[in-house]
Amino acid sequence: MTDMLNVALSGLRAFQTALDTTSHNIANSSTVGYSRQRVDLATQTPQGVNGLTTGSGVLVTGVSRSADALLAAQMRSASSSYSRLDAYADKAGTLNNLFANSDTGLSAALQDFTNALQGVANTPASTSDRQVLLSQAGSLVTRLQTYGTQLDNLDDQVNQELQTQATSINTIAKNLASLNQQIARATGIGSSAPNDLLDARDAALADLSSRVDTQVVTNDDGTVNVMIGKGQALVLGSVASTIVTQPDKYQPDRTSLAVQTPNGPIDITAQLSGGTVGGLIDFRREMLDPARNELGRMAVALTDATNAQHHAGQDLNGDMGGDLFAVGSTQVFAARTNTSAATLTATRTSTAQLTADDYVVRYDSGAWRVSRSDTGEQVQFTVGAGGALNFEGLSVAVNGTPKTGDSFLVKPTGNAVDGLKVLISDTSKIAAAAPIRTATTSGNTGSGTISVGEVLDSGNAALRSTVTIKFTDANNWQAVDAGNNVVASGAYTADGNIDVNGWRVQVGGAPAAGDSFTISSNIGGVGDNRNALQLADVLNKGILSNGTESLDAAATRVVGAVGVQTASANSSLDAQKVIYDDSKTAVDSVSGVNLDEEAADMLRYQQAYQASAQMIQVTQTLFETLINAVNR
Amino acid sequence: MSTYRLSTAGQQNAAISQILQQQVKLAKTQQQVSSGDRFSSPADDPVAATQVLGIERAQAQLDQYGKNAGVVSDRLSLGESAMSDLSTLLQRVRDLAVEAQSGALDDTSLKSIAAELQSRAGDLQQIANRQDGSGQYLFAGYSTGTQPFASTTSGVSYLGDQGTRQLQISGSQKMSDGFNGQQVFMDVQEGNGTFTVTSGTHTGTGVISTMQVTDPAQWNAAGAAAAAATPPMANSYTVRFTDPDGDGTADSWELLDASGNAVMDNGTPPAAVTGTYTDGGVISFNGAQFTLSGQPAVGDTYSVQPAGTESLFKTVNDLVSALNAGGSTPEARATLNTSINKALGQIDQGLDHAVDVRTQIGARLSALDTASTLRDDTGLTLASAKSKLKDVDYASAIATLNQQMVGLQAAQAAYTRIGQMSLFDYLR
Repeated sequence: MTDMLNVALSGLRAFQTALDTTSHNIANSSTVGYSRQRVDLATQTPQGVNGLTTGSGVLVTGVSRSADALLAAQMRSASSSYSRLDAYADKAGTLNNLFANSDTGLSAALQDFTNALQGVANTPASTSDRQVLLSQAGSLVTRLQTYGTQLDNLDDQVNQELQTQATSINTIAKNLASLNQQIARATGIGSSAPNDLLDARDAALADLSSRVDTQVVTNDDGTVNVMIGKGQALVLGSVASTIVTQPDKYQPDRTSLAVQTPNGPIDITAQLSGGTVGGLIDFRREMLDPARNELGRMAVALTDATNAQHHAGQDLNGDMGGDLFAVGSTQVFAARTNTSAATLTATRTSTAQLTADDYVVRYDSGAWRVSRSDTGEQVQFTVGAGGALNFEGLSVAVNGTPKTGDSFLVKPTGNAVDGLKVLISDTSKIAAAAPIRTATTSGNTGSGTISVGEVLDSGNAALRSTVTIKFTDANNWQAVDAGNNVVASGAYTADGNIDVNGWRVQVGGAPAAGDSFTISSNIGGVGDNRNALQLADVLNKGILSNGTESLDAAATRVVGAVGVQTASANSSLDAQKVIYDDSKTAVDSVSGVNLDEEAADMLRYQQAYQASAQMIQVTQTLFETLINAVNR
Repeated sequence: MSTYRLSTAGQQNAAISQILQQQVKLAKTQQQVSSGDRFSSPADDPVAATQVLGIERAQAQLDQYGKNAGVVSDRLSLGESAMSDLSTLLQRVRDLAVEAQSGALDDTSLKSIAAELQSRAGDLQQIANRQDGSGQYLFAGYSTGTQPFASTTSGVSYLGDQGTRQLQISGSQKMSDGFNGQQVFMDVQEGNGTFTVTSGTHTGTGVISTMQVTDPAQWNAAGAAAAAATPPMANSYTVRFTDPDGDGTADSWELLDASGNAVMDNGTPPAAVTGTYTDGGVISFNGAQFTLSGQPAVGDTYSVQPAGTESLFKTVNDLVSALNAGGSTPEARATLNTSINKALGQIDQGLDHAVDVRTQIGARLSALDTASTLRDDTGLTLASAKSKLKDVDYASAIATLNQQMVGLQAAQAAYTRIGQMSLFDYLR
């Protein structure tokens, strides 16, 4: 009968524990990261009495946690990818919106500038049209620089967010180390598993994975080791490493992440992938840097092309045109780790060949190697005069003696927009006219005509000296300068090029013997618009990408590329969200609390508890029956 | 999803998340409908967005070409009105010359005609120095800031240049917005455009009037032969009056080439080219002929030269000088008449020249019209292309909007209904 009482008591205790657990489940039904718990019941060791074996009740063997390590790992991985894309798409969206408004876009600013050139071509002597041109040139510069500033802001944001992430990662790492310690202790005591601590650790791991891609290894003592990047230990049992932010090896204003070791910080920026951190770093490399470099390349092309044409013109004062724009120079950063004092100087040599890439130039065992900084792809170069390295529209001169392992970052266009400005403020300095004019001498008897002429070499000192082309007979000409010296001569070909003193003209028709044509300075030609038209033309010409791409095409391509990258980031994000949601649902389906289920359990345990209590009453009744029998 | 069990929180989160997604979609459609744009940023449709950029650029370009064409048209109209004034003026000069030609006028009357002509010459210069609205000279070539025609001791000279400014009126077409002064006022063809006859030494009363080319091929062949000679010679000749019968009257003429040698014909053996002279008859050789009236003296010469160019100023000024010289003696009258005849010829050339220029202006204006039509067409095409790419299709957008609203309402209703269901409700 005592047995009966004990059995009933064991039932009461067990179902009380079960109800406690159900209550705990219900209480935590909305707790993020909570895994539902179950009591594990087993029959107590039966007792043998007089050869009979009777049951001795129920035993709570433990409270177990419904969790699946594999599903949790899958969710972490999905979360890592999702957060990466989320951060990437968020920043891409900002960049995309920057280029979104076509009315205030680069393409519109370029067109306004071209139209202003046409305006000057319409009325070359008009100060107001020239003023419009200067202000449109200013707007174009401002537009490019606004983009530049906004890209810099994005860069700053990325830097700051990396810093914030580093702090969070360190906090999580410390928390994980501490949880590891508590879990090891709890596990060591040998009592049942510390379920809620395990939940807390899983939640911390999930949080960490959303920031950076992790590899998690479980140890025998229940602790986990967490690695980031390419196996860099972040948490080893109860010890956490520290992530620090430090200036980039090449560019001091750029934040990179490093893990602190006894031997100093080790840069792991390039190795980090996934999570918000991975997204930020990828965005910086794949979108931000290329966009800035593309804008820079456009600024360089705009400057080079318009300046060259402007030099070939003549301004309102009769002077040859000067520079219209100035653009920022190339940048070379020596790595902090360089062991020699050698420096490099980069010069842009060809706008057409210029790319939007940055380059790492490295010196190893007596030889230079050039590679693209983003992909690491090798770049072929030729060695020019003085040991200069020539590649892709650049000439990189070496100053000093490098040592093995020295490396440099060469940025051909990254700084171009910063230095962009309009150099002319005096409207009369706009070279709308061509510097030479041609004339058919009055009294020519033949039907020969001369073209208006073009400038081949604006630097030729004799460009604007008067030259007379005389036909000694119908088939031969002589070019004679003001001092009556023959400076060139040739056989006549109709519409053939006659190149003298840096200019080119064509004579057509049938000139007669004794006919002459003069080429002279166009000073006073304030109504001439030939150079303005050519300036407008230059902007429509292919001056980029080996002559295949005009400025406008480049501007459109950049907008398109950013749009495509953003769209693809968004659609990847959508796809990844589905995967992430599924992985969460999968975890949830194992670990989540279902209230209906708990209600059923509650009912079940309550009934069992009541039944056990009834058993005690039955025992009491039996006992009373027995006592009464004895008393009688 | 297979046979998972669902957690209550997860179920609710999923329902909320679906409602949020529906709201995002709805907001996007709402933005499309309210802005009228199918996409708001390049990422929504990168291909269309870049195409739209291209179209907008083409539209801006087209607008600019339209403005350029307007400028060309305005300037050509200014040129046209100057040419019209020029024609009127030349016509008046012509009338005066014709008036002076009638033999009845004495020197005083001639001088008074000369005086009026003098003032017309001033008008001519004013037309030539005409400026546009912003003070730029119309007929100065590139040197629009310099007064192109100035009187000097040797007559009116041209200080402009031979440039003509061109403006871009379409992507591939440039058009001159005017004419330089050299073209309009200086380079008027001399004589009949092929050759000209001037009096050399003359003491008689011969008067040159009409000159014409009867056989251009023959004239050109003679010119080619002269150029091919060793040394090359100009295609110019001298007609010299002779008196073969010795009666003291110049009744014959002989022809000398540019070197002063007698011109021989193609006969066998070659004979010198000569002719007999009758008053008012033609002198004809090498496919060219001119009329001479009056009585030249023996030894009088007339030179025949390839036509060059003469400025309108010189024509008028020469006429003024000739009129001022008077015509009181028969010889002087002959000189005067030759001058008047020449002036009339030149004025006619000038009138033709003005008509030529006006014709060219007309042709350009009509080309501008064509270009304008083309621009309008292109503009329409561009606008409709842009609209197709960028404008939202309202019918389908509003249908979508309705669908999404229904979807959102359904999701919300489902959430409230399902969210209320719990087993606990039945445990009393």
